[in-house]
Amino acid sequence: MSSWSSRSLGRNWQHQFFYLAIRLGGRRLAYFVLNFIVAWYVLFSREARRRCRFYLERRFPQAGRRQRLVQSYRLLQSFGQVLIDRATVGICGADQFRVTLRGKEDLLALLARNRGLILINAHVGCWQVAMSALGFMETPVNLLMQREEGDIDRHYFDHAGIECPYHIIDPRGFLGGALEMMAVLKRGEVLSVMGDRMLGDDRNGVPVDFLGGRVLVPYSAYKLAAATGAPVVALFSYKTGPASYQLELFRTITAPVSSGRDAQAFVPCAQEFADSLAAFCQRHPFQFFNFFNMWYE
Amino acid sequence: MSVKEKLKKVLIEDLNLEDLTPDEIDDDMALFGEGLGLDSLDAVELVVVVQKHFGVEIKDMEEGRPALQSISTLARFIEEKQGQ
Repeated sequence: MSSWSSRSLGRNWQHQFFYLAIRLGGRRLAYFVLNFIVAWYVLFSREARRRCRFYLERRFPQAGRRQRLVQSYRLLQSFGQVLIDRATVGICGADQFRVTLRGKEDLLALLARNRGLILINAHVGCWQVAMSALGFMETPVNLLMQREEGDIDRHYFDHAGIECPYHIIDPRGFLGGALEMMAVLKRGEVLSVMGDRMLGDDRNGVPVDFLGGRVLVPYSAYKLAAATGAPVVALFSYKTGPASYQLELFRTITAPVSSGRDAQAFVPCAQEFADSLAAFCQRHPFQFFNFFNMWYE
Repeated sequence: MSVKEKLKKVLIEDLNLEDLTPDEIDDDMALFGEGLGLDSLDAVELVVVVQKHFGVEIKDMEEGRPALQSISTLARFIEEKQGQ
């Protein structure tokens, strides 16, 4: 059902060009060039406009053709800036950005329960820049992350030539990484997962309402929470200025204690997540980066 | 009741495999994919079931991978842990 692909809209040489621009002139030069590139895509690439439209039509259903062009420009510009920021962190260092966190006390209180902690993120803002604000937790952070062969956009640790500071759990591993994820939570560690995109089998998703339609979102995080007693929080990042990000705890989600095999038991949790994401989109309409048709109704 | 028999019974009850009877579950049938047809999320439930009914914890993948192959391997794992 999901039509998401990790294939980048930009070509490899275009990514390389921006990396060179960052090295030569820093983030500002790359932003400057980005404006022209985005304008070109919005004016001449039907595919780029199509990919923007899935979300924009839901978020701004009343918009006319001209407004939609402007919105497409803003959405792609924001996305481009996030990619530039991500590369800037790797090339120039994390100190290029100021990252603040809203909800630190709540996160510390949840960690103090010693049941592990599940952070549900989404493809919004720039989690890689924002995650640097989680250093205070002093506990290992594990990411459920699938990287496809042929991905051309690089993570900041790729640019920096360092090992990823987080332990990556591959969902294509044994039993989808389920045992590994349980193990880290039992050790009281942090597990970070994306809650807005299906990876693999649609049976691992539940339907929820989102921006006036129905989408499938994964429920594995809530299932893990039910099994281990780990608390779950919806944590989203957003860009607040040219060189600043904020990471915000939007909601603490309580998973059912025991559920058996029934996926429907997790629908309320998934809906809470979707409601949080919808609230995010209201506040930060151009920082939602799912360029595919998530909606099936 | 042997560990294998109890395991089949609790799997049917707790994982809602009501269309199966214990006799229809072969000891060496694969638990995941082809065979019993469980999936990765069922693995989470299975770990909980084993702890709840047998008092045995599957701590990590090193323990889980060989144990979660079939009823036989899981029963053997439980018996070994209970004997320790």
